[in-house]
Amino acid sequence: MSDAKTMIEFRDVHKYYGDYHALRGISASIRAGEFFSLLGPSGCGKTTLLRTIAGFEGIDKGAVLLDGKDMADVPANKRPTNMVFQSYAIFPHLSVEENVGFGLRRDPRSKTEKAAAVAEALEMVGLKGFGKRAAHALSGGQRQRVALARALILKPKVLLLDEPLSALDKKMREQMQVELIKLQRQVGITFVLVTHDQEEALVMSDRIAVMFEGEIAQLADPETLYRRPNSKKVADFIGTMNFIPCQVLSESGGQIEVDAKGLGRVALSPDQCPPGNGDTAMVGLRPETLTLLYPGQTTAERTVEGLVDEVIYFGDMTYYDVYLGGTDVEVRLSMRNVPGRPILEVGSKVDVAWSPSALVLFR
Amino acid sequence: MKQGRSLRAYAIGYLVFLYAPILLLPVFAFNDSKIIAFPLSGFTTNWFSEMWSDAQVWIALKNSLTIAASASILATTFGIFAARASQRYRFPGKGAAMGLIMLPLVLPEMIVAMSLLVVLLAVGVPLSIFTVILGHVLICTPFAVAILTSAFQSLDRSLEEAAYDLGETPVSTFRLIILPLVMPGIISSLLICFTISLDEFIIAYFLAGADTVLSAYIYSQFRFPARVPAMLALGTILVLVSICLLTVAEYFRRRGIAKTGGKDTGGFL
Repeated sequence: MSDAKTMIEFRDVHKYYGDYHALRGISASIRAGEFFSLLGPSGCGKTTLLRTIAGFEGIDKGAVLLDGKDMADVPANKRPTNMVFQSYAIFPHLSVEENVGFGLRRDPRSKTEKAAAVAEALEMVGLKGFGKRAAHALSGGQRQRVALARALILKPKVLLLDEPLSALDKKMREQMQVELIKLQRQVGITFVLVTHDQEEALVMSDRIAVMFEGEIAQLADPETLYRRPNSKKVADFIGTMNFIPCQVLSESGGQIEVDAKGLGRVALSPDQCPPGNGDTAMVGLRPETLTLLYPGQTTAERTVEGLVDEVIYFGDMTYYDVYLGGTDVEVRLSMRNVPGRPILEVGSKVDVAWSPSALVLFR
Repeated sequence: MKQGRSLRAYAIGYLVFLYAPILLLPVFAFNDSKIIAFPLSGFTTNWFSEMWSDAQVWIALKNSLTIAASASILATTFGIFAARASQRYRFPGKGAAMGLIMLPLVLPEMIVAMSLLVVLLAVGVPLSIFTVILGHVLICTPFAVAILTSAFQSLDRSLEEAAYDLGETPVSTFRLIILPLVMPGIISSLLICFTISLDEFIIAYFLAGADTVLSAYIYSQFRFPARVPAMLALGTILVLVSICLLTVAEYFRRRGIAKTGGKDTGGFL
């Protein structure tokens, strides 16, 4: 994947809406064949950035390159991209097959060949035999598939997806996530997905760009993003993170030693210490990296005493809010509910195992 | 319960007041008497044949239909441009421009008619059905804009973008996607403008010059008591034609909604 060529390149892209600075110098590249996600809260500019690829939004400074070609003077209808809209934008006055075949209007192929292409596209998205139906009579999930087939039939270099799953219910959404991944592997087209759902981005993407306020805060693969977020903001946006106040004791040769409240002294390696941005020093710890020790259990990891303050039962998991080492530092930790692990009660005294390598330092 | 009964009585009284006079039209159109009064004296279709053989009626009708058709098509065309521009684009002076377009809606027609008459005479344009068309376009356009704005408003912007995205040009997108989806609005606008123009009196009376139009002709005939029953016969036919027209328009409106899967909210008519 790393030697794949670049499909989309943003070079210092700026966009203004009047006085509002919507995109503030975006520079990034998306590789050919990659499933790339733009993730961020609403209003962070992710949709705007996607629309600059499609050609629906002009940019005020910088350049957007598609397959090595500057797109500045290429209008939306001439770009090798197709889009799946948040509202699906299914043409309500056309049938399913007319919708799917819409982009083939200017295609020189014969009618029979086009009909075969439509049938093939419908089969690919699991809507075989739905061609004659009226588009407005479809369910949300089916509309989604029609929109996908309609965009993919043109074999674009890039498929743009603007929050395509946000209108579906949870079950349907999870099913479509898996189908989209399979589809992307099958067609090998570069997918760029916009989403505000961090779980969706983690599940589906090869790489993710996390955006806040018109800037990319971090661009990395899902695991790096989750395990080694480069700022408190990113850590907070993706999953749950416990933040524990700490003091930096010494810094030498990349090695940093901190004193974290409730945990004690910890030596951190350079990859656990992203560049600081002037915040109060804190260490971050994911809930699943903390483990409750049941009586008789031992561990090679470091341990700290804790007091259970809250128990939240989730079926497959239980979340515990625990005070660490007799301090007022409270962390949330998660335990899978496997046989032999009773649910503890509020007020229980416990031992909590943790590993220094799971920490990330924010400062 | 008591309040419900009095409200029902009020509603019935209101409807009777509104529609009963119209029902009198056919009653006296078939009455064998020149005097419009009860008791009825007998059944006749003479008034219809008298009306039918009146050459002036046919000239006035032809003029009126020409005016109504031209005015409704022009006003609706302008309305499409104005509604689309106000929905889709931002430009300096938009508020003022839209306000001025909509102004004739609340402006007394008398003022429009008088000022147009003064200007046309000063410029030296001869009065004819053409000048009536001008005046009618002016008063019909606000209605067309109002109807079409709501039609364009209910259009999802991303439908247009999707068509672009799939390789269509702005012009072909308008033809393939926007036009079919706002068609119910266009038909409804044509119909409303046609009706407004057809029964408009003041402008037609002021600006027609030597040409006769239906509304002014009917009014002029009411000065001769002997001509009144024939005019009632004409009125009866007009009522029937209106009902047919509205039924057809409503049929197309409902079919349009069913076809696009929308929810029927009652519509304009």
